[in-house]
Amino acid sequence: MGSPIDAIVERMARGLARRVSRRSFLGNIGALLFSTGMPLLPVARGASPADPGDPQTCEYWRHCAIDGFLCACCGGSTHSCPPGTEPSAITWVGTCHNPADGHDYIVSYNDCCGKSQCGRCLCNRNEDDKPLYIPFKSNDYNWCAGSKVGIAYHCSTARIVGVAK
Amino acid sequence: MSYSAVAMQLRAAQPAELTPPVRASYMLNCMGCHLADGSGAAGKVPSVRDSLPILSRSTAGRRYLVQVPGAALSPLSDLELAQVLSWMVRNLSTQPVSPAFTDFTAAEVAGYRRSPLVSVSETRARLLAAASDSH
Repeated sequence: MGSPIDAIVERMARGLARRVSRRSFLGNIGALLFSTGMPLLPVARGASPADPGDPQTCEYWRHCAIDGFLCACCGGSTHSCPPGTEPSAITWVGTCHNPADGHDYIVSYNDCCGKSQCGRCLCNRNEDDKPLYIPFKSNDYNWCAGSKVGIAYHCSTARIVGVAK
Repeated sequence: MSYSAVAMQLRAAQPAELTPPVRASYMLNCMGCHLADGSGAAGKVPSVRDSLPILSRSTAGRRYLVQVPGAALSPLSDLELAQVLSWMVRNLSTQPVSPAFTDFTAAEVAGYRRSPLVSVSETRARLLAAASDSH
């Protein structure tokens, strides 16, 4: 014969088993994770007051001097290449004005290379771009020529690397 | 400042921390090809990390650093170019900068900049070879 404590615990456990389904534990854990844990994951969560606009549109402020397909529409993001492509190290660098805080951010438009053209979200704003006869201020190059995976151009990112003013 | 630091500031809506102006000039006029650390792309863009301390020691080397097309033809003013070149020597070199190194001046840049350098690769190779012979 067990102790009174064993009997109490057994009664509670059997009562719990009758009232609660076995799957409810998984359900509750799932609900807890999705309600609290998921927002911490590094996914694009749309516009924020300091970073306004949709990175999947050409009008997004960081795209002011871009010339190509937006990686955010091609399985990547404004700062990462889609799977199967590699960023070209050499790149076009310019500044874009963030309307939220009034600063001009330094943006590096690294191309993603190694696969054929993405074909989605073509964006050709080219603000402050100069003709090819001013080579240091012209973005009409295939920057993938400087990558290790060849000149096949897939899409362009718009990484912020500094704040000019 | 790294990408992640600036991006985190944006996400957290913190006040933007300005990049020092000389570094920003390097980023906007040089970094696209020479990369953030000056290492370039092998076979396409020469690394400046080893050559800067060597070339900045001699008059001929300093003249080359001003006349090389990426420097001479940049939209930077003579003063800005002098500041960027000095910053590069002090911040991108793999070896400690010689105590004898003096910063480039606007007048020095103006003196060299107007004379175009045609044989760029050959001049660079000759200067670096001459420097290694003398050591």
